[in-house]
Amino acid sequence: MKKSKKIMTLPGMAVLFIFAILPLFIMLAYSFQSDNGTGFTMENYMRFFTKTFYLTLTWRTIINSFLVTVISLVIAYPLAYIMAKHLKGLKNIVMVLLIIPFFTNQLVRVYSWLIFLQDGGVFDRIMNALGLINGTMGLLYTRTAVIIGLIHAFFPYMVITIYMALERLDNSLLEASSCLGASRLTTFTRVILPMSMPGVITGIMIVFVPCLGTFVEPRILGGVNGTVIGTVIEDQFFEIYGWNFGAAIAFLLLAMVLVSMAAINRLGRRYE
Amino acid sequence: MIKNAFMKIYVLVTILFLYTPIVVLMVMGFNESRYNSLPFHFSLRWYEDLSQNTTLQSAAENSFYLAIVTGIICVILATLFILGMKSLSRKTEGLCKSIMMMPMSIPWLIMGLSILLMIRFIDMDKNLFFVAAGHVVISLPYAMLVLQARLQSVDPALEEMSSSLGADAFTTFRKITLPALAPAMVAGGFLSFMISFDNFAISYFLMPSGISTLPIEIQSSIKFGFTPEINAISTIIIGISLICLAVVGLIMGGSLKSVLGGNK
Repeated sequence: MKKSKKIMTLPGMAVLFIFAILPLFIMLAYSFQSDNGTGFTMENYMRFFTKTFYLTLTWRTIINSFLVTVISLVIAYPLAYIMAKHLKGLKNIVMVLLIIPFFTNQLVRVYSWLIFLQDGGVFDRIMNALGLINGTMGLLYTRTAVIIGLIHAFFPYMVITIYMALERLDNSLLEASSCLGASRLTTFTRVILPMSMPGVITGIMIVFVPCLGTFVEPRILGGVNGTVIGTVIEDQFFEIYGWNFGAAIAFLLLAMVLVSMAAINRLGRRYE
Repeated sequence: MIKNAFMKIYVLVTILFLYTPIVVLMVMGFNESRYNSLPFHFSLRWYEDLSQNTTLQSAAENSFYLAIVTGIICVILATLFILGMKSLSRKTEGLCKSIMMMPMSIPWLIMGLSILLMIRFIDMDKNLFFVAAGHVVISLPYAMLVLQARLQSVDPALEEMSSSLGADAFTTFRKITLPALAPAMVAGGFLSFMISFDNFAISYFLMPSGISTLPIEIQSSIKFGFTPEINAISTIIIGISLICLAVVGLIMGGSLKSVLGGNK
């Protein structure tokens, strides 16, 4: 009986091995080959690390993800706090409103920013009507547009994870803190903030890590200014047909993803 | 009082940030202008064009069938997996679970490309089988999370009782376990359907030439000059996603939040 049950895990594991793990190893093998022949070579990796273009690009990818994460955190924390402690009945509605974009097609979302930000588009109209600018903001096809698009895609996750941590926080702890004479600021920095840190860390994880691998938002909203590792990998595969070099960059991206996950996890362990 | 008003304004502004571009997109689908520009003149011409556009219609059909297949396979694999997982030793269980969750943390770009390289490695042509496999792999963790959340709330005593009352393993499964899991299976199926229906990256890398899905069509029309037909189709996509979300939400209630605590 027990044995027969174990077998049920096999189909799922087999699919995972054949279509997720095995391909990664094949990709690794490709990354150590040159485009015109067989045999082991480090040239793809050498090429990446010796050209300033790729190093600048890596740096830009990291900075983009960092900015998106920090700005999302700054927007999300107060929102999560208000939802958890002050909204009462409304909070479920706000929660649903935050979840809906998760289920809105990624391309539809990016495309909507394209229309919204285009020269003479609705955003320009609003800014002109408010008298803030005269003419156009020229936001589309800039790095700012990429960052806005990515924040739009990812900040709801940050709100949800922080909210879940804050909701678990017992209100009597806050009362105890103020009874013992702590100011509101002290209560926040000594009680609320530390106790919500697991949520913050998870939030950082699920914003920063996927940001590293994006290529749709940078491509569409950033144009030539949006080049990041993801778009370079896409180019290698679909424009230049440098599959081996592309595989090497993809592997470096994967390494960045794993390293940052490990680092963020480590950061999180302090608050357990 | 002022503080309260300030808080409400803050919530409102963030919600506006989330929805303004999407609403503008939807509204522009009903605007006569070809360039998504103002002033607004109500027109249904883009929806009429859409009803004539066979390329988009067949792309929609492809998206739909692919998503159905993905949903069904994911439910079967995920159900089997979580039921079988209970009988593994603690250590193997943890290991298997982290392997199953792995596709959540790897960028879809890398997942798609590595499958593409594998297809080349075994010297085959791109085909729909690999697209579906790619979709299954990325949706499976979500289906599993939904099912697991549900399984945890099923009382194990029920199964024990059933077998001690003389029911064989299959009867216990059919009468106790399956009915308890059924809602989560439906929810997991819809969730996988949605992830597949919306997926761009995997389809983009693995689709054989000449076949496309809605997200691929949207991307190519962004690349080669867009028309408000795309606004119309986007509005329809959003509608479909909302229906799926409503179904998942109704079935799963609050535990949907914990599923979202995953990745992407």
